Amino acid sequence: MKVTLLTQDEVRLELACEPAQTVLDAAEAAGIYPLAMCRDGQCGQCGAHAVAGTYSMRPHNLAALPPGIESILLCSCLPQSDLTISLPYDDAQLPRHSVPSRRAVIEALHPAGTSAVSLILRLQADTTLGQAADFLPGQYMEISLPGTSIRRAYSLANLPNWDGTLEFLIRLVPGGAFSGWLAQVAKRGDILSVRGPLGQFTVDETSPRARCLVGGGCGFAPLLSMLRQMAAFQDTTPVHLIYGVNRSEDALPEELFTELREALPQLQTALAVWHGTPGVNAVHGTAAEVLAAHLALAGELPDIYVCGPPKMVEAVLAVAHRAGVPDAQIFFERL
Amino acid sequence: MFCFQCEQTARQGGQAGCASAKGVCGKDEVTADLQDLLIYQLKGIGELSERLHLHGTSDQEADSFILYGLFTTLTNVNFNRAVFTRLIADAARLRDRLRVTLETVGDALQELSAAAYFVPAADLAGLLAQANIASIQAGVELVGEDVIGLRALILYGLKGVAAYAHHAEVLGQKRQDVYKGVAHALAFLAHDPADIPTLLEEALALGRLNLIVMEALDAANTGAFGMPTPTRVRTTPVQGKAILVSGHDLRDLHNILEATKGIGINVYTHGEMLPAHGYPELHAYPHLVGNYGTAWQNQQQEFADFPGPIVMTSNCLIEPRAAYRNRIFTAGPVGWPGLRHIQNDDYSQVLQAAQAIPGFVETAPEKTITVGFAREAVLGAAEAVIEAVKSGAIKHFFLIGGCDGAAPGRNYYTDFADHAPADTVLLTLGCGKYRFNSHEFGSIGPLPRLLDIGQCNDTYSAIQIASALAEAFGCGVNDLPLTLVVSWFEQKAAAVLLTLLALGLRNVRLGPSLPAFLTPALLNVLVEKFGVQPITSADADIAAALSRAA
Repeated sequence: MKVTLLTQDEVRLELACEPAQTVLDAAEAAGIYPLAMCRDGQCGQCGAHAVAGTYSMRPHNLAALPPGIESILLCSCLPQSDLTISLPYDDAQLPRHSVPSRRAVIEALHPAGTSAVSLILRLQADTTLGQAADFLPGQYMEISLPGTSIRRAYSLANLPNWDGTLEFLIRLVPGGAFSGWLAQVAKRGDILSVRGPLGQFTVDETSPRARCLVGGGCGFAPLLSMLRQMAAFQDTTPVHLIYGVNRSEDALPEELFTELREALPQLQTALAVWHGTPGVNAVHGTAAEVLAAHLALAGELPDIYVCGPPKMVEAVLAVAHRAGVPDAQIFFERL
Repeated sequence: MFCFQCEQTARQGGQAGCASAKGVCGKDEVTADLQDLLIYQLKGIGELSERLHLHGTSDQEADSFILYGLFTTLTNVNFNRAVFTRLIADAARLRDRLRVTLETVGDALQELSAAAYFVPAADLAGLLAQANIASIQAGVELVGEDVIGLRALILYGLKGVAAYAHHAEVLGQKRQDVYKGVAHALAFLAHDPADIPTLLEEALALGRLNLIVMEALDAANTGAFGMPTPTRVRTTPVQGKAILVSGHDLRDLHNILEATKGIGINVYTHGEMLPAHGYPELHAYPHLVGNYGTAWQNQQQEFADFPGPIVMTSNCLIEPRAAYRNRIFTAGPVGWPGLRHIQNDDYSQVLQAAQAIPGFVETAPEKTITVGFAREAVLGAAEAVIEAVKSGAIKHFFLIGGCDGAAPGRNYYTDFADHAPADTVLLTLGCGKYRFNSHEFGSIGPLPRLLDIGQCNDTYSAIQIASALAEAFGCGVNDLPLTLVVSWFEQKAAAVLLTLLALGLRNVRLGPSLPAFLTPALLNVLVEKFGVQPITSADADIAAALSRAA
């Protein structure tokens, strides 16, 4: 069968697909690497839409399918005829190389607020990739727990760089396999396996609109990377950051925000504290509620970037939709 | 957005031109509209600047700004709307200053165009609302498509002139006659000219100005880096850390070679930077090890595969893929949102990237091509060339010049080079040559059949060669056994075409497709009055050229 992948910018990529071969496998056999993580119909990373042709789907998680009719997962889709598939990104975002797996050393590990840690890794030099930490702000890495099959995905908080530094903000989940290991066992010098960069939660640099970044808990990490990138590039786009936490003691250190405001003079920030006393420079409420107030006053509807726990993301999406923000202006990542 | 300035122009439907949310080149409508507004402002600045020159004085910042501003709007140069909002603000400030300066020299500021008074809105939404007045098609319902097409020919030619002049300027060639000529052309356009004979006259005047500019650029390049000489260039990788330099700007390449001296990083040229190897002062750097890749339209794959940082010094930039987005740097007029831009000649991040990325892990078997047949090299062999023509060993010269591109139909140039008879010489200019410059063409006596004169920027050298040969044979250039095969893609080709027309050079074959802004009536003028011929097929055009010569 012939499979045609159609990108958002209308580039057509044709590939041959064997019987019982998934579209994802066929694409990779052809040297094209659509985004995919679990490869088992569960994570939704390889979501797309069938445009023409017939297909069947291997068993998969229905909740992982993207919205809309004829939605598919490339890792589970078995063409039954010639098939045309629409991918949710442009050709330039479609990797032509496999996602690198590398080794990294723990360089620093210290508390960030009361319920998170800051983990800094340094990539070991690789014969083909060298020392560079090459990713786009907003992307994440998969980190494997040494000696186990446990993998976790964490967003990068720093900027792409040439010395191999990877910075993460990781929430300490009581009883969590990886965060528990981080809290109790991990030490400087330990070696981890990392795979990435992964993810499409990146800034639309070409948009003319203002940006509103909404983060909950450690969902702040990719937004921090985006803001640092804007500062580094002297990007003057108006930007508003709404950062939600459960309690004021969960908030990241104020110096982080002060630094960002100094580097990005146009940055407006709002700390939303859901429970208890909000404290100075904070408001009571959820990030979604603060966003609703912000959108009510905004002249032109901004692009919205949201990352956080699933319920918080759902609440923010609902607020954005109610305010009339088009889907094309909403970018989100669930933790 | 409406744009039809390059070959890539969308051609489906009745009206040729990019008029959707994104042009074929990747330029989005916001950026396109902001570019239109900047051009509109530059017309006003040009008008004021010309007056200042006529008063015997000038504003160097404004003169340089005009060149730079026009250059940023060339195809595949700058896609960054933030750059254009900043340039629009700068343009308003410069315009105000020019008006004050003119008043101080006693100019009453009478009969200025609306462009000279234009006040840009303070925010993006306001600017976009203003963009209609600046569209290349503004007024088409009043003046018709022929006038719009001629205005476009002049404006686009002027963009090419500005690009050449900027390259010359950064190497120290700051010529008042050039600044004044560019300002004049903008002032002419500022008043929405509609008289076709006057427009044609100005187009030819611009062609003459471009000859001066190309002479200045030639002087700048050869003055700084020596006269090109035939030089073998390696086209396969050498083991080690690597930086790739693309675009046309020899000064940037020189700066990078200086910054990487003695630190174990090899430098490769890409695309139109290939002829740099022929300049003795650049060739002298041992770490300028070779040329990598082909013409600009293949960069997404070639840059992804290149194991080091890439510096884009001028056109042609196309949308960077994620695979190399963090390791491609822009310089000078070039820009793309989210790419690092080199400022104040600070290459430190490029060097860091080069050190961090492995480079080529092994040395590939050596392959080479030869470049550097600029005017002195060819004319140095003039006696042998003249003798070969007289003896019949050389029957004809084909100058194949201009850009490459992705459009179907460009295999015409490959076919042309491959099918040209063995007793003909192929002279090349620009990146169109990548389609065939690795082919084996043999020699005629001591002379290789394929002689690369240089970049598209080196057209002056080609004109000098043609003029010298004509003098040697005691005939006019049009009487030489010479055919010019021009592959147009963007605005620099428009400038060169106007120069060829202004010089009265006939026998120009133009392709692969004709500019969308040339209406049938304008094309007819080019054909009837100037002898321009659209290409047909390679074999037929070769046969026609040889039968004319015979």
